[in-house]
Amino acid sequence: MDFGILPEILFWGLYAGSIYILLAIGLNLIFGVMKVVNFAHGELLMLSIYITFLLHSVLGLNPYLIVPITMVLMFFIGVLIERVCFRPIMGTGKLNEIFMSLALIYLIQNGVALVWGNDYNTIHSPLGNSKLVIAFDNSLIVDVIDIQSTSLKQYNASWMMSLSLDHVVIISVTVFLLLMFYLFMWKTKTGKAMRATSQNREAAMLAGINVERMDMISFGLGASFAAAASLWWITGLQFNPYVGSIPAIKAFAVIIFGGLGSIQGAIAGGLIYGIAENASSYVFGGAWKDATSFIILVLMLVLRPTGLFGEGED
Amino acid sequence: MAERKKIALMVSILALIAFFGCLGGDTTTEETNKIKIGLVAPLTGAASTTGGDMWKSAEMAVEEINANGGVNVNGEMMMIELIKGDTETNPEQGVKAVTKLITEDKVDLLIGGFSSAITYADQVIASENQVPFIITGASSPIITKRDDIDTSYFFHHCPTTDDYAHDTLLFVDEVIRPLINERFNYPADRKLRLGILYQDGKYGEGVLDGSKKVIEEKGLNIEIVSEEKFTQSETDYRTVLTAMKDVGVDVLYPAAFLNEQTPIVLQGRKDVGLNTIYLSVECNDDPDYYSGVEKWGEYSIQESRFGPYSVPAGPIESKVNKFRNDYESRYGASPSMMGASTYEGVYVAAQAIKDGGGLNKSEIKDALNSLEMEQMVEAMKEQTIKFSDDYRESKFQLYMQQLIWDEALGETRPVIVWPDNLKEQDFVLPDWYEPAT
Repeated sequence: MDFGILPEILFWGLYAGSIYILLAIGLNLIFGVMKVVNFAHGELLMLSIYITFLLHSVLGLNPYLIVPITMVLMFFIGVLIERVCFRPIMGTGKLNEIFMSLALIYLIQNGVALVWGNDYNTIHSPLGNSKLVIAFDNSLIVDVIDIQSTSLKQYNASWMMSLSLDHVVIISVTVFLLLMFYLFMWKTKTGKAMRATSQNREAAMLAGINVERMDMISFGLGASFAAAASLWWITGLQFNPYVGSIPAIKAFAVIIFGGLGSIQGAIAGGLIYGIAENASSYVFGGAWKDATSFIILVLMLVLRPTGLFGEGED
Repeated sequence: MAERKKIALMVSILALIAFFGCLGGDTTTEETNKIKIGLVAPLTGAASTTGGDMWKSAEMAVEEINANGGVNVNGEMMMIELIKGDTETNPEQGVKAVTKLITEDKVDLLIGGFSSAITYADQVIASENQVPFIITGASSPIITKRDDIDTSYFFHHCPTTDDYAHDTLLFVDEVIRPLINERFNYPADRKLRLGILYQDGKYGEGVLDGSKKVIEEKGLNIEIVSEEKFTQSETDYRTVLTAMKDVGVDVLYPAAFLNEQTPIVLQGRKDVGLNTIYLSVECNDDPDYYSGVEKWGEYSIQESRFGPYSVPAGPIESKVNKFRNDYESRYGASPSMMGASTYEGVYVAAQAIKDGGGLNKSEIKDALNSLEMEQMVEAMKEQTIKFSDDYRESKFQLYMQQLIWDEALGETRPVIVWPDNLKEQDFVLPDWYEPAT
């Protein structure tokens, strides 16, 4: 094993973890406030990718500039879904809520397939050929190069790491969004109201908080975070209407591992998953990637069934 | 009075039942004078694009045959009726679709069968009912080699994973290995270091097993130094590609679908710096692959038998062009590989029925066993469509294409580099190529 490669493995783990964090936070927001498990979260991710794809095709804008627009659009789509689909059945039983989100899966998948078909599509990032080079040879070198036209061999350094600029941007955006989210949840009146609702809905109502408005905002924000996770797909990955299923399963594993309803759990869980999967893939082979995810989950459920941070620990 | 009304009502109901019972329902082929062919394909679900191609190609073949008077069955001209069997891209629905085709629609034979996993499930029904099945869309050799059911009614008109691996690694040994050894001053008998990155399932494991088989049987100078598995529809291959780079590979053979092959090449070249020759299985010979890999796919190898951009020169060139033009005029899109073999499958079925002289399924089976037909839109070995004696597999003339960047188009385009009788230009070992270290 080449230990010099470990920083790159760690970086890719952070990158994968970023996407898990964004998906898991969205799921946990919805569950934390509404106590609803949104099984259609993967389809919100998929819908976000297609909205970005549509806007990119029509407007020709840099996809990184389109994602914030998609996040705003998905916020309103999330609000609409909450009002039309979940609000009427809240309190009528968990089974109804589960079936509603399962129905949404089929509706969104088939709706997208009807419009765009089942063919694979791709969004190519404008940063696709750019790399951030960090090298050390007596002094630190930091450079951004076009990998198609510039060879890494020109850096005759004792140590070097080259990182895709796409990945650096995505990790940075994730950190930024987490910071904004923290400020919103802990420093704003609405954020505090959402936290109060997630802790005790009845008490929040008695305190004068409009809990139905909190439901709308949490679902909208959850959908926005799913849209943020769609950043992964502007790096050239192919997508079709069924692309949301597997990331959603991973996100569920992350939130159970981290603790249902816990934002800190989603962050820690996403990071641990991303790094553990990549590390095990490198050490034991690609076949162990998914096995690692579920081994970690099972161990957590056995040792601490409420998850790393558990419910009610916000 | 009330009693009479009741009796009258009952009699009326019975009469209605008898009347409608005589109208529809199952009809024998003799009564309708048609040959019924069931098309088993994923017309909905994740693979519906491919299934749609298969249906359209079969439909076109049926219309061509019917326009020419139909099939001569023992002196009587019979038209073909094509009936849909939608597998919905999953094994359970595949079983239901085949069951319906056989028990309700009473088809004379089946054509199609996309996805080895789905075909593996639904062929059981065909076996139980001894219905001939010309399989044009499943690549696992197990389809005709399994021993838990009677497979004598199954005819595999689609290259298998053994075939892919066989021809691809013959090319690697004959062409790529000597060039590498020459450029880097390695001994001429140095073994090529091959890495195989395969999808977890019958398809991927089939390519891996086929690779091992051909290396051993043909005594190829190739050593498999790295085998890595991935889950279907995986998106992140960086770590596993890094591990393979660390082991040191001269050539990388992904056994992957389009949505996997594309990120493997992109991530391998761009992110991991694995500057090797990437091979690709024929299912990726698709316009979306050429646009997806961008310039990073340059000089990679695409195994194929029918693709969107290249047409092998020779006896089938005009037939391929006609098929493509007819399909594009009719449907406004290019036909796919699965469509091409399904199109041929209909003609194979028609020929077998004609040769057998009837619609008896056993006679059709016997006719398929002894069938010899001129190749149509895909190059075949010995230029003939026929099924092998052992496992009833037809043998395609596969070819290797190298992707060459076209600045004007902004995409790569394939050029045939092997075998010699179809070659358009020599294989190029690119300047950026790095062998195993």
